[in-house]
Amino acid sequence: MQFIRWVRPAAILIAAAVACTGCGRHAAPASDNAASGTATLSSTADLNDKRIAVQLGTVYDIYATKTFPGATVLQFPTFQEVTLAVAVGKADAGLSDMDTLAEVMHANANLVPFGKPIFSSPVAAGFAKKNAANRLAFNAFLKSIRDNGVWRDMVDRWMTRRSQQMPDLPEPAAGSGTLVVGISSGGFPFSAVQNNELAGFDVELARRFGASIGKKVRFADQEFSGLIAALVSGKIDVIIADMFDTEERRKQIDFSDPYFEQDSVAFTIASRTAAAAAPRAPAAPSFLDGARISFRNNILLERRYLLIWDGLKTTAIIAVLATLFGTALGALVCYMRMSPLAVLRVPARIYISILRGIPVLVLLMLIFYVVFASVNVSPVLVAVIAFGMNFAAYVSEMFRSGIEGVDKGQSEAGIAMGFTRTQTFVFIVLPQMARRILPVYKGEFISLVKMTSIVGYIAVQDLTKAGDVIRSRTFDPFFPLIMVAVLYFVIAWVLMQGLGKLERSTDPKYRRRAAVTR
Amino acid sequence: MIRVEQLCKSFGQVDVLRDVNAEIRKGEVVSIIGPSGAGKSTFLRCLNLLDRPTSGSISIDGVDVLARHANVAGVRQKMNMVFQSFNLFAHLSVLDNLTLAPIRLRGVERRAADEKARDLLRLVGLATMAERFPDELSGGQKQRVAIARCLAMDPEVVLFDEPTSALDPTMVSEVLAVIRRLARDGMTMAIVTHEMAFARDVSHRVFYMDEGTIYEEGTPQQIFESPRKEKTRAFIHRIRSYHQRITTVDYDLYRLHGEIEQFCDKHFLPRAATLDLELLVEETLALYKPILRDFVVDLSIAYSEKSGRLELAIETEDTSADPLQAAAGDDGLAIAVVRGTAETIEVRRENGRRRLEMTVRTS
Repeated sequence: MQFIRWVRPAAILIAAAVACTGCGRHAAPASDNAASGTATLSSTADLNDKRIAVQLGTVYDIYATKTFPGATVLQFPTFQEVTLAVAVGKADAGLSDMDTLAEVMHANANLVPFGKPIFSSPVAAGFAKKNAANRLAFNAFLKSIRDNGVWRDMVDRWMTRRSQQMPDLPEPAAGSGTLVVGISSGGFPFSAVQNNELAGFDVELARRFGASIGKKVRFADQEFSGLIAALVSGKIDVIIADMFDTEERRKQIDFSDPYFEQDSVAFTIASRTAAAAAPRAPAAPSFLDGARISFRNNILLERRYLLIWDGLKTTAIIAVLATLFGTALGALVCYMRMSPLAVLRVPARIYISILRGIPVLVLLMLIFYVVFASVNVSPVLVAVIAFGMNFAAYVSEMFRSGIEGVDKGQSEAGIAMGFTRTQTFVFIVLPQMARRILPVYKGEFISLVKMTSIVGYIAVQDLTKAGDVIRSRTFDPFFPLIMVAVLYFVIAWVLMQGLGKLERSTDPKYRRRAAVTR
Repeated sequence: MIRVEQLCKSFGQVDVLRDVNAEIRKGEVVSIIGPSGAGKSTFLRCLNLLDRPTSGSISIDGVDVLARHANVAGVRQKMNMVFQSFNLFAHLSVLDNLTLAPIRLRGVERRAADEKARDLLRLVGLATMAERFPDELSGGQKQRVAIARCLAMDPEVVLFDEPTSALDPTMVSEVLAVIRRLARDGMTMAIVTHEMAFARDVSHRVFYMDEGTIYEEGTPQQIFESPRKEKTRAFIHRIRSYHQRITTVDYDLYRLHGEIEQFCDKHFLPRAATLDLELLVEETLALYKPILRDFVVDLSIAYSEKSGRLELAIETEDTSADPLQAAAGDDGLAIAVVRGTAETIEVRRENGRRRLEMTVRTS
């Protein structure tokens, strides 16, 4: 019980933060909680004055806005946030397809559907408008698996028997090209990460399709709302991501024949439905048991620690490389900014003011989807470039104030002794400047480490994304978030120690003190 | 060894140096004196090209250092500089301050450089300070380290830019003693200084700079005992002066007193002399009040540091009435006060102006 008492308020705080950043249009004030937090829900008609959680960019987003004009629509980037918001009472109800919800209910008995299905939609694969060949190939492939019974077997395994095992699939011949499939791992039965590999109905379908056209499949697992942009800009070849075929989407992309038909429902927490008499889950486990179960589910099961370890490595690699690149670029910008030549100075000033004025997430997406639209470039590299460019704008000004802070007499003395300007800078100004700016630089570096948590937007699996992926499997909303928070703190702390060591090495008196005490 | 011809330097619109010609010979100690703003420091900084001259020529050992491809850094290695503000490298220990340039520029081995640095520190009396950092030293110690740092590069010339101006009076002598020692050892030096006694006994030649040029030059004896030119004379005799023109009967007496006190404080005049001066000014102006048609009075105070003579001069238009003669109905008290306070009183008449000169006792 202790565990629950402690973890609830913390989780609500985190969820509130997620809710506020996730919804652009209708940020719900927290006081709404009291007004509409307890009324019983029996049909979707009851939703008109409530808060409805949907995933950004899905049909539910548009549906909820149109159908319930009086409701507050909360848009979340992933389906996990939708279920979390409903579970903790930040939203009164969520919208979902029946099959994904069934999976959620399996893990969290507290969430239940209510009312009649709101609509039924065809699920299809999405293709770029100019890429008719792939689409026709997919249709032919679909027809063949419907005819030979493979499709029926897949539905039976994933949807009916709720299997979570990938079958052995034929591998295409090597060197025959790659098919990049856009996917958004939101949980079984369609796609989820299991043993560090993608599995699910969509995953099997994509790999079978790849094999049928003789191409190796590479998955780009990313935010659902970014899939269409990625397809249009050519970052991915096809979307197979439990995507409904709708009129709106047809304006931008083409769809294959439907490969599934899905009912959609509204869901809420069990105590809010008319059938609230349902027996409660058994008494909550003790703190230690709860922690042990969470630890096993979120870390040990399916070797999820590997996922976390990979995410951790990715985060550290992006942070360190972006820092190195940003520092070098920052030094160049600083040099230009301090140049007496306007040709160099003015571009540097423009660079600094523009880069400091753009949110780094927007910069990241611009570089990925616009600048490198037609170039096949690793998203990790894009992240390093974007964060490095952003970092450079800040540190260049830091360098400048550091250099200007070193007394002019110091460099004059160096020059008068016969050092060249460059030697004077390296031997005399730089060491003094480094010592001056390191404390601020350290802070900027730490904020860069934390800023990298948004790289999931361009399909990079970093630490935050690893936490999201685990949440999408375990539907344990709190443990992965807290674990990720702790790990970020640990990364920041470890890297700080490294910089702290550098900082001490620039303090000459520290070296002497160390020598004395040794 | 150093020959300067027609050197000019301007900062924007301001001409700091106009046509400077000079020669410094090997083994010679040259002091450069003159009032603030005369261009002394700029002249020195032009010599090692910290400030690039606007025009003119500088040649060192016959090599034109202003030529396009001159090895300026190489020239500076032979001609090191000691600054007013020391400019020790704050991030390096005293020893490293001395060894940085020999190791990096000459490729001297660390051990040899350390050894030589310690010798030089011994020479300036700071052998025990080798491991200290600049911010742990007193001003005098810093400047001695700075001198040792110069010597570490075996320069042929050392330029001193007001080496004692930023020091507490108690520390001036320790630095001057080190420079004297270098002079005795035959080092070629150019020293910008305000320490007249020092300039007089350490240098072979003295440049008096004023109006952006070397106004007068000569041996210390010539410059300090029989300066030929007017400005040199005023400078050498250290005449300090204060001028004020008063144009209304209702002048601000308290502000005038404030300024007189400030002037006296600045030159360490005794309190009694200050009070006498204030009394004289107030009473004399009161005497002029009834006899001037247009109340325009030029008041000047001059003090010679050398002779200790303090003089008050009051210049007005010449009137028929004598301010020092009591008019009818006046009790003559003010005149008695003036006569009693001033040491001497003299009246001069020139071009329709009357100049009343009074001296005040300073001891």
